[in-house]
Amino acid sequence: MKPSDLNRAEILSYLRTPELDAELDGKLTVCIEELCRAAVPRTVWRLLPVQHSPEGVRLGGLLLGGKDIALHLEGCRQAVLFAATLSSPVDALIRRAEVSDMTKAVMLDAVAGAAIESVCSQLELFLHRELGAKYYTERFSAGYGDFPLSQQADLIALLDASRKIGLTVTQHQTLVPMKSVTAVFGLSDRPVNDARRYCCGKSCTECPNRDGCLFAGAKAAEKERIQ
Amino acid sequence: MKFLNLLKSDAYVFLDGGMGTMLHLQPGELPERLNLTEPERVVAVHRAYAEAGSQVVYANTFGANPLKLEGTGIDTAESVCAAVRLAKAAVPENVCVALDLGPTGQLLQPAGSLTFDAAYEAYKTVCIAGAEAGADLVVIETMSDLLETKAALLASKENTNLPVIVTMTFTETGRTFTGCPISAMAITLEALGAAAIGINCSLGPAEILPLIRELSKWTRLPLIAKANAGLPDPVTGAYSVTPADFAALMPEFAKAGVRIFGGCCGTTPAFITEIRRVMQDVKPAELTAHVPAAVCSGIRTVVLDMPRVIGERINPTGKKRMKQALLDQDYDYLRGEAIAQTDADADILDVNVGTPGIDEASVLPQAVRAVMEVTDLPLQLDSSDPKALEAALRIYPGKPIVNSVNGKASSLAEILPLVKHYGACVVGLTLDEQGIPESADDRFTIGKKILEHAAALGIPKQDVFLDCLTLTASTGGDGPVQTLHAVRRVREELGLHTVLGVSNISFGLPNRPLINRSFLCMAMQNGLTLPILNPMAEGMMDTVRAFRMLAGFDANCEAFISAYQNVQNQMSAPAVPSAPSELTLEQAVIRGLRQDAARLTEAALASQNPLDIVNQQLIPALDVVGADYEKGIVFLPQLIQAATAAQSAFGVLKAHLSDQGNQGGKGKIVLATVQGDVHDIGKNIVKLLLENYGFDVIDLGKDVPPQKIVDTAIAQQVSLVGLSALMTTTVGAMEETIRLLHEQYPSCKCVVGGAVLTADYAEQIGADCYAKDAKASVDYARTVYGE
Repeated sequence: MKPSDLNRAEILSYLRTPELDAELDGKLTVCIEELCRAAVPRTVWRLLPVQHSPEGVRLGGLLLGGKDIALHLEGCRQAVLFAATLSSPVDALIRRAEVSDMTKAVMLDAVAGAAIESVCSQLELFLHRELGAKYYTERFSAGYGDFPLSQQADLIALLDASRKIGLTVTQHQTLVPMKSVTAVFGLSDRPVNDARRYCCGKSCTECPNRDGCLFAGAKAAEKERIQ
Repeated sequence: MKFLNLLKSDAYVFLDGGMGTMLHLQPGELPERLNLTEPERVVAVHRAYAEAGSQVVYANTFGANPLKLEGTGIDTAESVCAAVRLAKAAVPENVCVALDLGPTGQLLQPAGSLTFDAAYEAYKTVCIAGAEAGADLVVIETMSDLLETKAALLASKENTNLPVIVTMTFTETGRTFTGCPISAMAITLEALGAAAIGINCSLGPAEILPLIRELSKWTRLPLIAKANAGLPDPVTGAYSVTPADFAALMPEFAKAGVRIFGGCCGTTPAFITEIRRVMQDVKPAELTAHVPAAVCSGIRTVVLDMPRVIGERINPTGKKRMKQALLDQDYDYLRGEAIAQTDADADILDVNVGTPGIDEASVLPQAVRAVMEVTDLPLQLDSSDPKALEAALRIYPGKPIVNSVNGKASSLAEILPLVKHYGACVVGLTLDEQGIPESADDRFTIGKKILEHAAALGIPKQDVFLDCLTLTASTGGDGPVQTLHAVRRVREELGLHTVLGVSNISFGLPNRPLINRSFLCMAMQNGLTLPILNPMAEGMMDTVRAFRMLAGFDANCEAFISAYQNVQNQMSAPAVPSAPSELTLEQAVIRGLRQDAARLTEAALASQNPLDIVNQQLIPALDVVGADYEKGIVFLPQLIQAATAAQSAFGVLKAHLSDQGNQGGKGKIVLATVQGDVHDIGKNIVKLLLENYGFDVIDLGKDVPPQKIVDTAIAQQVSLVGLSALMTTTVGAMEETIRLLHEQYPSCKCVVGGAVLTADYAEQIGADCYAKDAKASVDYARTVYGE
């Protein structure tokens, strides 16, 4: 992965800082380079049938919990389930920095956040072209809205992700390597209703926290970049 | 031993192909359940493979372990037993049935949260059940993590008498997902006693062939290849390689040393038939590879083909600060030393925790784990306590060095069997019941005896290193000469690698660095290959690099030039204007200048006592930064940068205090990331800030069980416990910890923080305080401790 794949504004938003002085900015550049060297982005995806039923929505036969994911996939007959990871060297890099230089650790953590977002966006972009559907929903992850985090293990199993990309889940539903994502996006013949992204699972316009949102700037920037 | 006879026969051995592929599983259907509910489906697969010519079939137990089956209602032992029995019933008598162990599906520490012991226990359950049901061998397959593989292999060897073969799964880079290189896999598993090793899954045969060729350079064991039928189509799930194309590559595999053939995902009985047909006229290759001596961690192999430096810094002998760190269980200090030595170009790190007041058997494995979190270098496990060595050997991924055995009968009897069982290299000290012989020849004789004892146990000669012992030169006489002579004899006559603790030579003399590097150079010239030294000490690594270059170990002087090409430039560059002399310690902290903060603290110690420096300079500086942070004038990176500068000042103060045998903190606080949570960074930021304010933090790390946190709080009589949780799924563990704490130790306060918490939520789960950020934790700690 290359430093140019990453969005600096997004990294700064994760660092909760509007700007950096020259010295810290230089440090961030080093962190971006180190992160890109360490990261081994890997992805796995499957195109699966979507079935809506009174008990909820099924993806490849797996019943997904909660109303929000069902709503999200409304009108979709197929959806892509994917997983992406930066792989374990990134965790090791951050762990090591936590001991030797905490500023660097915090920066690497933020860069890794932007990096995994970038991997997901690139995969989405590729699949949008590849699959040739008319419309796609945004991606939606376990933990958004009422789509329970406790389904992480089912999603990993459905993708055989531990065998395919080395992505595992702990008994407490944490993905390991830590800089990893699982997500679903739907394919549709009709325009889809969503602005559901990131951690909230709600559209920005309806969101009561929109003024204080940590991700608003990054969302807008990334949207622009994808288009 | 049906399988070993097959292996001995010099002919090829044919395994089976994909199981999941043949079972045509429905969504959500677990293969392990079929052993109990629809055995006929599994039997049909085994029968088809036996008819196609498989001499070994893998029982349907790949995912049958208690960790994977938790919550499914399937009893592991029952499913395993059924799987082995039905496989035996399905195939003719002359076909072997293998108990199949796959990965647990979780990552072991430090990458994940699964402990070695939990993985071992899971595999033990499977092994006992499988052996009782009559399996002929154990196969461990599709492994990515070398430590998990070791857990499975030890569980097989320690709980069954069956032969064990192992295949791991690699990406095209020649590493597994967890970063294990082929070389580390080979040297570790051969030393641990696998009967054959190889590669399965992930890739098709064309991609695996170069990986097999690499593997053949690192082992003399028979090799196994079990490739996928290419890659699956993400939309249809269909695999791309045909049986004929697959089999056509197999003669190339045989040339590279493969004796055992089969297929993995996407392969069917047709593949096995085709492989057998193609291979009937192909002769097995002669194995001629010379495997180099090497040690490894789970992710890095160090070949012993030139002088390799063993870093000596993680050892409390003569180091008060290290001693104190071990007594305080301050593993970050060890981690720091590990990083510094790694950055200084050490090749291997020695880990020794032997000091009065320490239970080595419990501390050595913890120290080893802590060090491996931050370095990928192989380790030398240094203890005279067999229990401590065994505890560390079990949890070490890779092939370590044991330091040490000696010529005493008791040492030989206790240490060497451990070295053999755990597949380590070993350092033999040339001393015995009579002490250290004065003459080189007597030391040589003891060394030879150690080698003979090791060889008798089956420890390969190249895994035995001898330490002819450096005695201090200050006693006069020809001590150094005898040591060098013994080294030369061991190297020339026995051909073994040699170890010396170099810096002992200068003890009690002036200008120790000069003596150390001179002796180092002389010793390497006499055949020292594994110097133990401080890689940060003046001139030591320079001497090693120069020696490697001059002695012909550095082709085209590449390593030397890359280490020093900037030296001349630095020297001729115009002198950088020195930092303004009026820079104060406060300013250095506020501006986040780590080196200046350390330097100014050192200078301040000349005229001030440490506590005054903390209270009058460091804390006021941090308060300035903290206030600016709260006002939104500075942001998180600057706050942390200032904190790390203060940390480096504290490092200087701590070294000073432990020299005086003094501790002097403001109070102890226990910190932990709660059970189930492996996101540690937030807690570590809080720790940094608390330490900056002079608190002694007892850091229990991540994924800490509730009772352990409470027990530590009580044992250490702390007034405050800090808990962190990032995931909604782990807040339950936080609540449980608070409940136990209030129940068993009501006078102790509890502060909580983490991404998923809010003030309301914190109150609801019974916390005394919610800290919205690290700064708020410090503020609360200061009120608890009455500042």
